[in-house]
This record gives sequence, structure tokens and C-alpha cells, in this order.
Amino acid sequence: MDHDIARARPLSTTGVGASLPRKEDRRFLAGEGEFVGNIKLPGMLHVAFARSAVAHGRVLAIHKPAGFEGAVFTMADLEAGSPPVGPIRVLSSLPGFKPSSQWPLARDKVRQVGEPIAMCVAATRAEAEDIADAVVVDIEDLPAVVDMLQARDAPPALVHEEWGDNIFLETLVEGGLKGDEFEALKGSAAVKVHRRLRTARQSMAPMEGRGVVCTWNTRLDQLEMYTAAQMPHINRAGLSETLGIDQASIRVIAPDVGGGFGYKGILLPEEICLAWLTRHIGRPVKWIEDRREQLIANTNCREHHYDITVYADARGRLLAIDCDSVIDSGAYSSYPFSACLEAAQVGSILPGPYKMEAFRCRTWSVSTNKPPILPYRGVARAGVCFAIETLIDAAALAAGVEPHEARLASLIEPDEMPYDNITRKHFDSGDYPEAIRRAMEAIDLPAWRARQGTPEPDGRLIGVGHAVFCEQAAHGTSVYYGWGIPMVPGHEQCGARMTPDGRLELRIGAQSHGQSLETTLAQVANEILGIDPAHVRLVHGDTGVTPYSTGTWGSRSMVMSGGAVAEACTLMVERVRDIAAHLFQVPLDQVVLAQGRVSDRAGVQSLTLAELAHVWYRQPQRLPPGVNPAGLEVIGGYKARVDTGTFSYACHAVAVAVDPGTGAVELLDYVIVEDAGTLVNPMVVDGQIYGGTAQGIGTALFEEMRYDSQGQPLASTLADYMLPGATEVPAPRIIHMETRSPYTTFGQKGMGEGGAIAPGAAIANAVNDALRPLGAELTELPMSPRRVMAAIAAAGSAAGAVAGRGAA
Amino acid sequence: MTTIRLTVNGQPIEAEVQPRTHLADFLREQQLLTGTNLGCEHGICGACTLEIDGAPARSCITYAIDCEGASIRTIEGFDGDAPMAALRAAFSTEHALQCGYCTPGMLVTARDIVTRLPGAPEARIRKELSGNLCRCTGYAGIVRAIRAVMAQSGTPSGPGLASVRPVAPTAP
Amino acid sequence: MKAPAFDFTQAQSVPDAVALLADTARFTKPLAGGQSLGPMLNLRVAFPEHLIGVRQIEALRHAFIDPANGELVLGAAVRHAQIEDGLIPDVTRGLLAHVAANIAYRAVRNRGTVGGSLAHADPAADWVNTMPLLGARIVVAGPDGEREIDARTFMTGPFTTALDEPELLVAVRVPALSDAARWAYVKFCRKPGEFAEAVGGVLIDRPRAVGRLLIGATDGAPVVLEAPTELLAASSTDSQVAEHWTDDRLRAAINAAGIGHDPYVAQLHLTMARRAIVAALA
Ligand SMILES: Cc1cc2nc3c(=O)[nH]c(=O)nc-3n(C[C@H](O)[C@H](O)[C@H](O)COP(=O)(O)OP(=O)(O)OC[C@H]3O[C@@H](n4cnc5c(N)ncnc54)[C@H](O)[C@@H]3O)c2cc1C
Ligand code: FES
Ligand code: FES
Repeated sequence: MDHDIARARPLSTTGVGASLPRKEDRRFLAGEGEFVGNIKLPGMLHVAFARSAVAHGRVLAIHKPAGFEGAVFTMADLEAGSPPVGPIRVLSSLPGFKPSSQWPLARDKVRQVGEPIAMCVAATRAEAEDIADAVVVDIEDLPAVVDMLQARDAPPALVHEEWGDNIFLETLVEGGLKGDEFEALKGSAAVKVHRRLRTARQSMAPMEGRGVVCTWNTRLDQLEMYTAAQMPHINRAGLSETLGIDQASIRVIAPDVGGGFGYKGILLPEEICLAWLTRHIGRPVKWIEDRREQLIANTNCREHHYDITVYADARGRLLAIDCDSVIDSGAYSSYPFSACLEAAQVGSILPGPYKMEAFRCRTWSVSTNKPPILPYRGVARAGVCFAIETLIDAAALAAGVEPHEARLASLIEPDEMPYDNITRKHFDSGDYPEAIRRAMEAIDLPAWRARQGTPEPDGRLIGVGHAVFCEQAAHGTSVYYGWGIPMVPGHEQCGARMTPDGRLELRIGAQSHGQSLETTLAQVANEILGIDPAHVRLVHGDTGVTPYSTGTWGSRSMVMSGGAVAEACTLMVERVRDIAAHLFQVPLDQVVLAQGRVSDRAGVQSLTLAELAHVWYRQPQRLPPGVNPAGLEVIGGYKARVDTGTFSYACHAVAVAVDPGTGAVELLDYVIVEDAGTLVNPMVVDGQIYGGTAQGIGTALFEEMRYDSQGQPLASTLADYMLPGATEVPAPRIIHMETRSPYTTFGQKGMGEGGAIAPGAAIANAVNDALRPLGAELTELPMSPRRVMAAIAAAGSAAGAVAGRGAA
Repeated sequence: MTTIRLTVNGQPIEAEVQPRTHLADFLREQQLLTGTNLGCEHGICGACTLEIDGAPARSCITYAIDCEGASIRTIEGFDGDAPMAALRAAFSTEHALQCGYCTPGMLVTARDIVTRLPGAPEARIRKELSGNLCRCTGYAGIVRAIRAVMAQSGTPSGPGLASVRPVAPTAP
Repeated sequence: MKAPAFDFTQAQSVPDAVALLADTARFTKPLAGGQSLGPMLNLRVAFPEHLIGVRQIEALRHAFIDPANGELVLGAAVRHAQIEDGLIPDVTRGLLAHVAANIAYRAVRNRGTVGGSLAHADPAADWVNTMPLLGARIVVAGPDGEREIDARTFMTGPFTTALDEPELLVAVRVPALSDAARWAYVKFCRKPGEFAEAVGGVLIDRPRAVGRLLIGATDGAPVVLEAPTELLAASSTDSQVAEHWTDDRLRAAINAAGIGHDPYVAQLHLTMARRAIVAALA
């Protein structure tokens, strides 16, 4: 396998493979980013929302404060318009799926704390908040459905009464041996390990929250909405459906967006409200989500429960997985789809990159009185990786082998690629065992094992662990059509136009909010057209001027938008050559384009792109008849040859020290061996890995949205919801492998999410390795000091753990 | 409304403020200086960090009305500042920003670190950065950029320590 | 998340501030660095109608050694960063600077004040724990002049103090440690700059007959354990003083503080107290 393909390529300094500094940096370094919060329109008013204080209740009456009746709007007002505003209602063709109706402002019931009830408008945000505070809502409390297992098994109430239960969807995925054969395998397996595992509900917490500025453009008779969003075309579709106006009457612009991670991948009730409001009052309006709204009212992610059994042979080789998994999907399914995404994915991706003989996974997507959950960076994989990888370690322990030996015995081998696994996932390429071998070498497993032999001077316990995962990315129609949801990715397009001065404008429907597409797609253009990346301008995130796209999610942009840009530039090459052939009066096959110059093969005539564009636009008299009149503007489209997705993968290996006196975990060393195929910009790829890993460390050790028994969120500030900072995140050592994807333009694979997937699993394995002498084991994320101490106490080993040592 | 007089990026200004308007909103909404971002409005994330009288401060929990006579410097006010120029270049080279939202506050803190603690070891740099959250970069590039600027020999260290330190309290 | 409306008046002097604070018609409060009050205002959990700026009052900005007794008089408006940077005279063998350097983040330390921190009385904050350990006295000014409150009785509960309205905290009097004094102040925070989950402090200064252990970041006022005077005799050693604080005694104090029922919290406080002892003797 050609792991190191990039090294065989000529080293480009500007094209695919170059660590080109980013074109977007200048404006951000100057403080000139255009975030939605920075946008001001003449006459603009500000909006704040009165929100539910209870998790579950019937709305009896909403009292607008005296004197402010004209500044407060409820669902009744929105429904009174023509056409009336409707609820967010996501349908899916998945058998058995129960849709939820989420009214943009609560109508009959509130189903979570923070649900918007009334929209208040004023000259400043502070005044709008004053009005919102004065809105009085009479609510008849209903019992809150807080815990997902209880919601399924013994619900204190129904979140959506018409359902008859609290279950959005139940799925069953099976593969390999079934029935008696599966039972026989279970009976004969040398190793059987069973665990109940949980991962916490998290907030995705981009540094910038959501936010909306909108106005009605009377000239175009069109809603113009600036919104911090990852999928502007999807927002437009959702707005059209709920507002009852056609899509051409809506323009959605995602300006500079301060991080997304999935959080900005949905249509918001607040967007619908403001869209209605601006038309209703005839003024531009603005709402900026503040951090408290984000933490208590808006969406969360990743609350999984696993009841999982793994069967292995005497060497720790995986034989079968049998799992029941419950996902807390919260009160509603967000638009375009959220409620069952995690659970359905759990069912299909739990096998990871492993071979096995039998697989069974039943999942429940459960509704509770908590905010909806969305797919967060890595989607279900962070939970899945935690489940399977901690179980593999447990199986290895039971088999008496090192965990990496158990993995090596079970992984798909490179010579089996491409490989269809037990849940019919089509692995495109890769050498997973090699990633583990390199990671073990880099972390130096024997050295840590040796160190574990002698007590640490400070009394801490040393552990080492690792985890491996695969990241299916840029998967398309064949994977998604079966969901029957409003967002099925198909073909991706790029519009390319050469300007009269020879610069290149690229227009894509995806949105770059930190992913560096303004740079990396310019590198793709450079690769094909030879144009200086400085002369390429990317227009993205604006439905008014870009081709339709399902947006930026699922690590798809570099494969899909990158592929589309390559196609568009390839078409442009043909247009350029055609014009040059006419101009040079030579046959087409005598025209070559290299390094931004078009020449005849004889080397007699030669023009820069700028010169050629000048002729095309400004001196058409020089062009003979017969030249293609379509000119220097093209639309290129892309769909991967095989659209089941690329599979990048990595092994994260980590060494930790656990303080048995406090439960604190320190990361001593962190190694990542990663393979994302061809790296278009290695610097940017590393940045994605570092950033994802930091988020994964948050999942592993810090981040937790807790709720009390009444469904009240227990974190409303960043002091309660702890995000990892520079002191909590080490500098991981990244080692690249480069196995090209056989299905993409340059062999690149989507890789934006991977970093966030493995840390929970790898660190859990390391912490459990450290705690093994005490007989303690953690089965829940995050591994907060409280949980570590509880595990130690449960193991009955707390005594004597308090080594007296100082750190004055 | 109350009238305040202060200096913003070297310009003396006089403005009407509501007492409840925090400094960041005053700068963003009234002075149209939107480089200072808001990430939490309760003092934790550091996105709103700027300089007041030469020292980094949180503009979300400082009220404009309490800045009478103060000298404010925002990310828009560092033209010609050598340490900031070096940091900006290093932030780009080391890929210390992705979405760019934390960047203005991060740069102000970074400038404080390189000028106040020249030669600080990595662990100290990280501790000093702990009040500025970044959700994108994992801090790797940020730490590298700060180290790179510290290592650059001949980089003018900007105004001397005395001028950036708060004035010492004295005996009455 | 914007603050509710309030009025603001910059006080010119201590009597001026006290007079302004004496207004009972409106809910009036001092504003110092705003680093605790600011978040509470923005989160709308505090609704003062009138804030009195005290940061600029000249008399609160001084720090000096009282020639009469060698005590450090630390003005209420002195900022954490000034202490961190060693810009005030040190009578604590570095303890104040050590504590200051680990409060919050530099940007917060540049504005947050000693007086504001003490008056705010968050059990997890640092000065409400440090000042009792040092046996400091809090100087407050009211309409009838100044009075002093022992720092060990200043905090009366979580976020409550012995300050009577309209009193203003004007200074802290910190006694000078002897050259033989040994101290430790350790805290457990999930992250640097986060409020502590447990604080342990030890001060052994036998020449001044002080042997003190502190258990802080409780649910209320910190717990201060004084070593018996006989252990502080010239003939004893620092280790003998420290040996007095057995695990049993520490556990009893933790239980008495009402935080013993949560095993994790109890263990953390025990760990921090033990580590403070070890660090002080090191
Ligand atoms: C992100 C963050 C992290 C923090 N971490 C820590 C930490 O680790 N440790 C720690 O100790 N602190 C921490 N703090 C708090 C910080 O130290 C504050 O500066 C301090 O608690 C309050 O001081 P201030 O001057 O800002 O007071 P203000 O916020 O202005 O006032 C606080 C309270 O004190 C009253 N007050 C102020 N001055 C006086 C006076 N002279 N007389 C009477 N009443 C007065 C006010 O009315 C108010 O009720 C943190 C703060 C933030 C924002
Ligand atoms: S916005 Fe000021 S610290 Fe977060
Ligand atoms: S670059 Fe996005 S938050 Fe730092």
C-alpha cells in the first residue's frame, strides 16, 4: 500500500500538498472578521426571548407587560399572519419514526427549559431583555422526563402525548451469524465481557454562538438573513417550509462564522421568528444568542447509554458484539434531522474497523424534556469509540494479552481493502494495523510498562492506553437516501468565473467556518489552473450567489467542494485552451496550460491568464468566429465514483497520571497516528486534528451538561460547563500516513472530525490502566475527579491513597 | 445617559453612555469597533480581552462608565506595534487561528505574555493562556506562535515593563 | 445577557462613599473591579439600583507598612496583579504574592481588588481563605468612623460578611510574619483560574505563637484550626505542631463544617489539608 504517496509527489509550494499559510488570516488578525454580531443595518432593532423556566408544562396564558404589547409577540401572533407560520416538523421515511412538532414559540406545551415563549423587540438588547423579564407566563407543571432509561422504561410523563411512548425510533441492526448460530458462538467464546457505559450530554460550545440579522429587501421582495450557520441552503429550505414562502424569496448568508462543530447545522426557531418579525414590523432585526441561552436553551449532543457485551477468542480476537444502546435525543428533532441520527449511526458504525462473525445492535432514540441533541464533531463516533474500545481493552485483559495485540488480531488487513464490513460499510483503503504499530512505537509502550513497576514519587498512578477508529466522511446519496429526510447529499457544484483581469472567483454552497476552505480550495485551483492562490477568491455560504449544497458537515467539504472546484477548474482549462487555440490560430491539441500561462507547443505564442482574460472580455474583436461563446464562466459538478464515503482513521495513544488523592488526571504524552489520504494542506490538517483532539479531551475529562430531577440545567455559565484550556490540552505528536482514497479527485479523505472521536476512549483506557492496581474502573464520561474518586472508593481502595505531598 | 471622556486607540473621545453598558458593547455598538468579540459576557472565555491603561482586561465585565479617563486599546489599535506585528505573523505561520473568533482576545493576551514574561517556559505560557478559550485550534499553534515570537532575537519587546505594569500602590 | 439598568456615581473619598451608600431609598452597592459583580449583573442575578464606584478612591489604593507595628495595610482597591507583581511591601514571606498569582486570570487580576473579593465572600475565593490564615484584620468604615474585624470572623456564611450597611471595606491589616514562619497554601481547581473545590492552608510561626491550619472552599466560612499554645513553645518543632493535625482531627473539622456527607468533597478537603502540611514543612 502506498502510505506515503505525498512524498512521491513533486513538492508543490502552492498546490495540493502545500502547507500554504491561510488567506483568511489577515482579516481575523486585524479584528476585521465579519461575524453576524458585527452586522448593523440602518434602523435595526434588537430581540430577546422570554423562555420557559420549567422543563415540562402546559402553557395556560402569556401576559404581555403593560405598555409593551406592541413589542412582544407570541405564537398566536405568528400564526395570525398570512401565510401562518408553522412548526418545525421533520419527517423521515425510516419505518416507525415519530415526528415532533416544534413551534418556533411555544404554543400549547413547553418541553424543555429555555424553550422560547415570547419574542420581545426593543432599541437595544438590554431593553429587549428588560421586556422579556417582564413577560409573565402561566404554566401548569407536568412531570419532567429527565433520564433516558426512565423515559423509555417507566416514563413519568409523555413528552409528545400523541406518540403513546417517548420513543422517536427503535432500530435493529444485525450482521453475520444469526439466531442459533449466534447463540452457539456466544456459548463457545473463550472471553465474554459485559459493561454498562454512559457518555454525558454535552454542549458543542463554539466560541461564537448562533445569531441572526435579517431584513426584508423590498426591491427583490426577498428576505435577507445573515445567520451564523453551517448549511445556509438547508436553512433556506427550512425557512421556506415553516414560513410558507417560496425559496427564491429567501436569501440566507452565513458571514464569517465563529466555529460550528455541528451546532450551527440546523434551522433555529429563532431564525423563523426573526424572519417573520422583520416583515411584520418593517425594520431590520437582530438576535445574538448569548452564552447562557446556548447552555440552557439551545441544542446539546452526545448523551449515550450502552449495555454491551463483547465476545472474543482466547487471544482476544473479536468474535461478536451484542449491544443495546439508548440515546437521549431531547425534546424535538431539529431541522433537517437530528433525533435519530446518533442512534441509527451507533447501530451501523459500532463494529468500527474490526472484523467479527456476528453483530447485533438495538437502539432507542428517546425523547426527554431536554434540548434536542445534534450531531457534534465525530457525531455518534465518540460514544461508539468509547464503547467498543473500552470493551476491547476489557476483552484483552480477560484474555491476558496487551490491548494492541487484541486489536491487531481483529482489524481489517490492508490487503483486504476495499472491504465491506459486517454492517456493509465499504472501507475504501487504509492500513489500520500499521497505525497501531506506529502508535505503540511512538508512545513507547514498554517504557511506560517499566515505569509502572515502581511507585511514582508523588504517589500518582501511571496508565497508558490507546484507541483506534475510522471516520466515514463525505458519504453521499447511497448512504442517505434511505433516511428520507430533507437533506440528502447528491452532487456538489462549483461556479468558477475568470474576471477580466485574470483572477478567479469560485462559488460553492458549503460554508467555511474555520476549515480554511478559502485557502485549500485556492490550492486545488492552483493545482489545476496554475493560478496563484492569491488570485483566487472563494465565495461561500450565500444562497444568493452559490450553487445548492447541503453544506459543511460530515467532513465532506474537501472531498465534495474540493472535487467540484477541481471539476470547474478543469472545465475552465478547456475554455482557456479553446480561446487560446483560436487566438494563436493553432489546433487545440497544440495548446498547453502550465503555471498560469497558456502557450502553443512550439513555444512561440504565450499569454498569461490575465492577458487571455483581457482579450476575452475587452478585445473580443481579436477572437475569430467559432470560439465557444460560453466564455470564462463555468459550473463544475462532482460526485465521487463510489459515494459511500472515504474512511480516514487514526490511532490515539496516551499516557496519563491519575492522582488518587483528588481524582485529577494529567495527560503526560499524547500520540496520534493518522491517515487521511492525500493531505491537501498538511498544516490545516494538523490544525483540524489538534482542535478536534482538544474537544475530545473535553469529552473525556471535563464537559458535562447536567440536569436535576426537575429537568433544570445545572450549567448556565462557562464556570459550570468547563471547556478545556491551554493547560488541559497537551501538544499531541502527530504522525501521518497517507493512503490515498481510490475514489476521490486527489486521493484525499474527509478528516475534519476525527480528532474529537478517540480521546474519550483512549484516555479512558489509560485511566483504567492506571487504576487497575486498585481494582477500579471507570465506565462513564467525562472522567471527572468526582467519578475517578467514586470509582476508587467503590473498589474499596481509597484507604492510604492520600499520599501527603505538597504543591505549594 | 452620562458623559464620559476616555481615550480609545489613541483618540480622545467624549461619549454618552448608559451606566449598564459594558465596555465591549460601548466599543462595538457606539464606537463601531467590532474587533473585540463577546464569547460569554461573564469573564471566563477571554474573547473580549483588550487593554485598559496598558494591561489586559475583560471588556465584558468592565462598564464603560467606570472607564472615565482610561486609555483603551482594542485589536484595531495595534498598528505599528512591533510585538503585535510579530505575533500576527507568527499566528499565521503557526496556524494559531481557525475561525478567528477568539483571535483578537488571544492576541492581546499573547502580547501581554511576550512583553511581561520574556523567555517564559511553555508551561508558564500555557498557564497565562488559560483565561482565553479557543474551541478550534487546540492551542498548539497559539503556543508555538508565542514561543516563536519570544525566540525571535532582536524583536523589540515593545514598551518597557514599567509602562505596561499597573502603577504601584504607595504610602499615603 | 445584559445588565439591568442601574445608576452609577463615582465616589471621591471614603466618607463620600459611605454617605452615598447610606441612601436607603435605593438598593445601593459599591463597585470595585467589577470582576464578581459584573458577571452577576450581566447574568441578572443581582439587581442593584445604584452603584458607587470605589476603585478610584485614593485612600483605598495605598499599601504601606504601619511603622507602629510592622503590619501591612493593604488598601481595599489594591488589585490582585499588583500583589502578584511584588509591587506592595511583603510581610508574608511571599504568601500574598503566591496567592495573588493564582487567582483567576491575568486580565481579571488586573482589575479585581482585595476589598471586592473579601466583600463578595465567595467561599471558594482566595482572599477570604488567606486572610484568616494570616490572622489579618479587616478595616471597615461606616458613618461613625472605622472599626476592625478579625478576618476569622469576617465571613459569616456563603456570600455574607460582618459588614453592616452602609459600611465600606477600606483596608486589610496583615500582621508581619517572623523570619521563621513557614506557610503553604494549596488549592484544588479543575482548571487554573477556576474557583477552588478545596483549599488547604498552613501557617506555622512559633516565634509569634501561631500554628494555624485552614480548610477552605467549604460551603461557608473557612475552617481555621489553631494549634494548642503548648505546642507553640520555643522548645517544640514545626513538625510537632503539624503532627497535631491528625486525619481524625481534620475529618472532624470537615464534618463540623457540614461538608462531610459528600465523600468526594470530604476527601478533597482532607487531601488538600494534608498536602498543605507537607508543603509547609518541606
Ligand atoms: C473568570 C473569573 C475567575 C475568577 N477566579 C477567581 C479565583 O480563582 N479566586 C478568587 O479569589 N477570585 C476569583 N475571581 C473573582 C475575582 O478575584 C474578583 O476580582 C473578586 O472576587 C472581586 O473583586 P472586585 O474588585 O472585582 O469586586 P466587585 O466585583 O466590584 O465587587 C464584588 C462585591 O464586593 C462589593 N464591594 C466591592 N468593593 C467593596 C468595598 N470596598 N467595600 C464593601 N463592599 C465592596 C461589591 O458591592 C460586590 O458585592 C474570578 C473572577 C472571574 C471573572
Ligand atoms: S466575553 Fe468577556 S470573558 Fe467572555
Ligand atoms: S480560532 Fe475559533 S475559537 Fe479560536
